[in-house]
Amino acid sequence: MNKKRAIILNTTIIFSFFVVFLRLTDLMILNHKSLSERAKLQHVKVEDIRVRRGIIFDRQGREFALNIELESLYCDPEILDLNNDGLKRLASVIAKEPMFILSKIHNGGRFVWVERKLEPDTVEKIKGLNIKGLGFLTEAKRFYPKGKLASHILGFVGIDNQALEGVELKYDRYMKTSGGKIFLERDAIGRTLSSGVDTEARGNNVVLTIDEGLQHIVEKEIDKAMEQWKAAAASVIMMDPFTGKILALSNRPTYDPNNAGNARNPEKRNRAITDCYEPGSTFKIIVGTAALEERLVNPGTLFDVSKGSVEVGGKAIRDIHKHGVLNFKEVIQKSSNVGSVTIGLKLGKDRIYKYAKLFGVGEKTGIDLPGEVSGWISRPERWSGTSIGAISIGQEVAVTPLQILRAYSAIANGGFLVRPHVVSEVISPEGRVLASFRDEEMNRIISEKTAGTFKNILKGVVEEGGTGSSASVDGNEVAGKTGTAQVINPETKRYSREKFVSSFVGFVPADNPRLAIIVVIYEPKGQIYGGVVAAPVFRDIANQALSYLDIPLDSIPYNDHLLVSR
Amino acid sequence: MIYTGSRIIFFLRPLLIALLLVGVFGLVYLRSSVMTLEYSLGDLEKTRRNYLRERKMLLAEKTSLLSFERVEASLSRSRGFVLPARIRVIHVKNRKETLPYNASLERKLTEP
Repeated sequence: MNKKRAIILNTTIIFSFFVVFLRLTDLMILNHKSLSERAKLQHVKVEDIRVRRGIIFDRQGREFALNIELESLYCDPEILDLNNDGLKRLASVIAKEPMFILSKIHNGGRFVWVERKLEPDTVEKIKGLNIKGLGFLTEAKRFYPKGKLASHILGFVGIDNQALEGVELKYDRYMKTSGGKIFLERDAIGRTLSSGVDTEARGNNVVLTIDEGLQHIVEKEIDKAMEQWKAAAASVIMMDPFTGKILALSNRPTYDPNNAGNARNPEKRNRAITDCYEPGSTFKIIVGTAALEERLVNPGTLFDVSKGSVEVGGKAIRDIHKHGVLNFKEVIQKSSNVGSVTIGLKLGKDRIYKYAKLFGVGEKTGIDLPGEVSGWISRPERWSGTSIGAISIGQEVAVTPLQILRAYSAIANGGFLVRPHVVSEVISPEGRVLASFRDEEMNRIISEKTAGTFKNILKGVVEEGGTGSSASVDGNEVAGKTGTAQVINPETKRYSREKFVSSFVGFVPADNPRLAIIVVIYEPKGQIYGGVVAAPVFRDIANQALSYLDIPLDSIPYNDHLLVSR
Repeated sequence: MIYTGSRIIFFLRPLLIALLLVGVFGLVYLRSSVMTLEYSLGDLEKTRRNYLRERKMLLAEKTSLLSFERVEASLSRSRGFVLPARIRVIHVKNRKETLPYNASLERKLTEP
């Protein structure tokens, strides 16, 4: 009996083990893959590594673009419990039409964005609505704390932080970084365990050559000028003439990069590098320096411009005011068209073209911003009979404000063509310098002697009797040139009688230049001359910028000083 | 000898069982402690993330408030600050050799 029981017991045990063995085989071998995946889904949570763009700093380390984290609202349409009342309240909180929300929900799928990157107080209000099926995800938003300041340099990004304009676009490969996924263990009620790894990947930071203080001065004065002259647009660039570092660059109209989506295209255009204009008299330095360099003239060479006009190719080119006999210096100082055309005729078209090219006309400056245009000057063999006269006074050529500023910087720095740039360094999040600007392209275009001679001539423009006397700065000598150019009417294809571009370009202090500045005002109302419209803007900017940079006075003309220690 | 061996086994067996039980409980305890620590670390990481997020917001606000435009507007509006004409300002640089202390000391030394 006992033996029989023992056999039954043994058989039962063996059978039980066999069943367990079969089940284990099923779990561990036959269905191992699918079961382990199901188990992983239960206790492992996959999270995206948060990708953050690098920060943009000005040259003093002030943040121009950084990242903040905001909540984005999504919904799961399958479990969404949203009645009419809830829909209306949600719509009013996120300031959208109820139909807009419904159209998103009915798009299908189990994950639908309702509204991205909401303000924290809006998030609290939505949470207060207690709507089942709505959820929040944290996303990075690019934030430009200075608002409109330097917007054309910084550019902007899209809703998914994709670079669209400016430094953001040009240096995107440095600033963006790749993300990836991390696996977090979680328990039955969804609590996650420590991953032990950093869940944020940061891109490299960019240091600009721009200075917030100088940029603020420029923007303040460009706004005043726009207001005063009711102009259509304006551009101002400030550059270190020796290094090509852009210290400030501003255009009007402008936009706030925090709301770039609402800005119109003309507001987003970086006119300083993307728009061409006929430079007018500011172009006379090309003809002037070419004549000096080729030893055709010296500052004392006399020109009889008493007739007030000169005929070129059957077309008369006139001076605005009649002058008598002028020497070369006075031709530039008084901006005589007749004198400049006479010099241009002496030079000939090949030499004018050669020097225009040397000064970078018709070539991109190579600035590290997207969208730069090269401007335009046609080859001498395509010039018409009137071209040599027109080009000598800055017509029939198209330049950007930056090209003209670079040309004047060559006079300021003793004859070198610099490469303008807005970024000085790219640094890693840990502070290691990854890339820095090196100019290997700086080449001499005119002799030091010619540059020095022409600098003295340009000083005369800003002195009493010159066209740019209202650009003079108390305490420091300024060298520069005014420009007034007609705008071509696109309908008639002829020069407009009402629309002008007024400009002033110069550098200060003249003998030891620290700042080269160009001011271009498009279509001012009331006055048209560069010496009246643009030169005072140059003076006001230079005055404040010299003070900001602690650049000492050349001379002290008054005795009643305030004593301020710093 | 046999008696002694049986006695040792008699004492060793419960001891081994007790040790085994303590070991098993120790392992369970250690594992649960590790899990608790991981939970705490997870919570701390979450808190850290929230603080970092808040820090980013505060930094953005600070940078925005410290912009030249705001500072200048606020000072000129509420405090009546105006920038003096550049020509009327002399900047006195801070140089070691001209510190007042050194100057007064020199004067004392040379005084009769």
